Amino acid sequence: MRPNDRSYLDSHEWAKLDGNIVTVGISDFAVEQLGELVYLDLPDTGSTFSEGEAFGEVESVKAVSDLNCPVAGEVVEVNSDLCDNLENLQNNPFEGGWLLKVKIDGNSLGDMLDLAAYEALVSSQS
Amino acid sequence: MSTQAFQLLSTPLHQKHIDLGGKIVPFAGWSMPVDYGSILNEAKAVRNDAGVFDVSHMARFVFRGADIAEKLDHALGGCITDQPIGMARYTMLLQYDAGILDDLLTYRIADDEFMLVVNAANRERDWELLTERLSGIECSDLTEDGGGILALQGPESLNVMRKLSGDANFAPDFLALGEIETEFGTLFFARTGYTGEHGYELFPSAEQIVPLWTALMSLDVAPVGLGSRDILRLEAALPLYGHEIHEKITPFDAKLRFGVRGWKTRDFVGGDALRALPETAVHLIGLSCEKRIPREGYSVMCNGEVVGTICSGAMSVVLGHPIATAYVPKNIDGDFSIDFRGKPLAANCVALPFVPHRSRD
Repeated sequence: MRPNDRSYLDSHEWAKLDGNIVTVGISDFAVEQLGELVYLDLPDTGSTFSEGEAFGEVESVKAVSDLNCPVAGEVVEVNSDLCDNLENLQNNPFEGGWLLKVKIDGNSLGDMLDLAAYEALVSSQS
Repeated sequence: MSTQAFQLLSTPLHQKHIDLGGKIVPFAGWSMPVDYGSILNEAKAVRNDAGVFDVSHMARFVFRGADIAEKLDHALGGCITDQPIGMARYTMLLQYDAGILDDLLTYRIADDEFMLVVNAANRERDWELLTERLSGIECSDLTEDGGGILALQGPESLNVMRKLSGDANFAPDFLALGEIETEFGTLFFARTGYTGEHGYELFPSAEQIVPLWTALMSLDVAPVGLGSRDILRLEAALPLYGHEIHEKITPFDAKLRFGVRGWKTRDFVGGDALRALPETAVHLIGLSCEKRIPREGYSVMCNGEVVGTICSGAMSVVLGHPIATAYVPKNIDGDFSIDFRGKPLAANCVALPFVPHRSRD
């Protein structure tokens, strides 16, 4: 079951807003499409990204993929333990497998997909 | 995923793959299973036990005629005239300039009959060239006759063949062709494969292919997809057309001298060019690295200078780390690194094959 408390990008990242802090991750569909993960590269705390900018890479046995930042802002926390515990991302992408917390200006997300729109996208790609 | 502009072909086992949870992808014009859930576990099954690949997308050509061996000897890079009846051989289809158009196996079924199995991606071009080079020979493309090819590979494959045949003494030689009697009739096989393991390629007819697959599943043979096949052939450093071998690479560059046996004296397409070639300036090396998988096209550096590009890369299940191949100039030495999308990471030059062959065991 995909959570309804966050928004999604068509490149399969999710963003969950809490005040002016946005938690960023990738969806179960992204993880399933990638298959067995071998490597995750995340930025350092203090890095800044613009909306849509690549902030890292995730790599599987099959492919390597950029990770896109759904919001503009500064990275205030990184789930750096995840890089050595990729099974947590593989098995739990919406909770323990979160990637970054980004501080944004303001307190709203930009133009992203809601759950219903994201589910429609996924079923069209499955 | 996306709408195909053309109709993909599918093998007679397509529904079986879907029923087993196979992830189906387009490959060389065919819908093929890339994995059934775990590329790595499927590769391990072949290394440790037994696995079966549906490789029915590969093209099967049969040629018959009185002087077929002489004509094939001229048309292909390898020596065919001395190929024994009942044996398979690896060789290549060459251009006149000795560039490699494809690699293939020739199976001598009778004095005047050969089967060739070529890469799916090259089926049409190979067919055109071969039928042209073999004028006056009876040629048939059997690829879509409803039968297929199943590659049964792994140390347990011998026992699987003994169970299928009910023959406890079954023990064919490496590269031998033969027939076994099964509950679904006489099954043609070759002791060949492309994994570096002891294994067999089975050639079921249209009537046999589904019952054969079902029988293999009931003998606990793991279904294995094309993703694992790529890992296994790379661990064994077996070349793949479009990666290690292509039109700009000669058999000498690719260290495939055994595939052009007799090249010094034989008259064959590409032979004059091979004899006139200066000594090859590049060679294929193996690279190993720590975590990230080198992908085709990544730059390879030696002491910081770009010296080549990656041909193939994969996660080795035997070694537990990524491996890759690249052509680099001969006689360079130093610290190798690979450009991972802008980030250079250290790599070690290692001997090929990455994993020793056990196909003759």
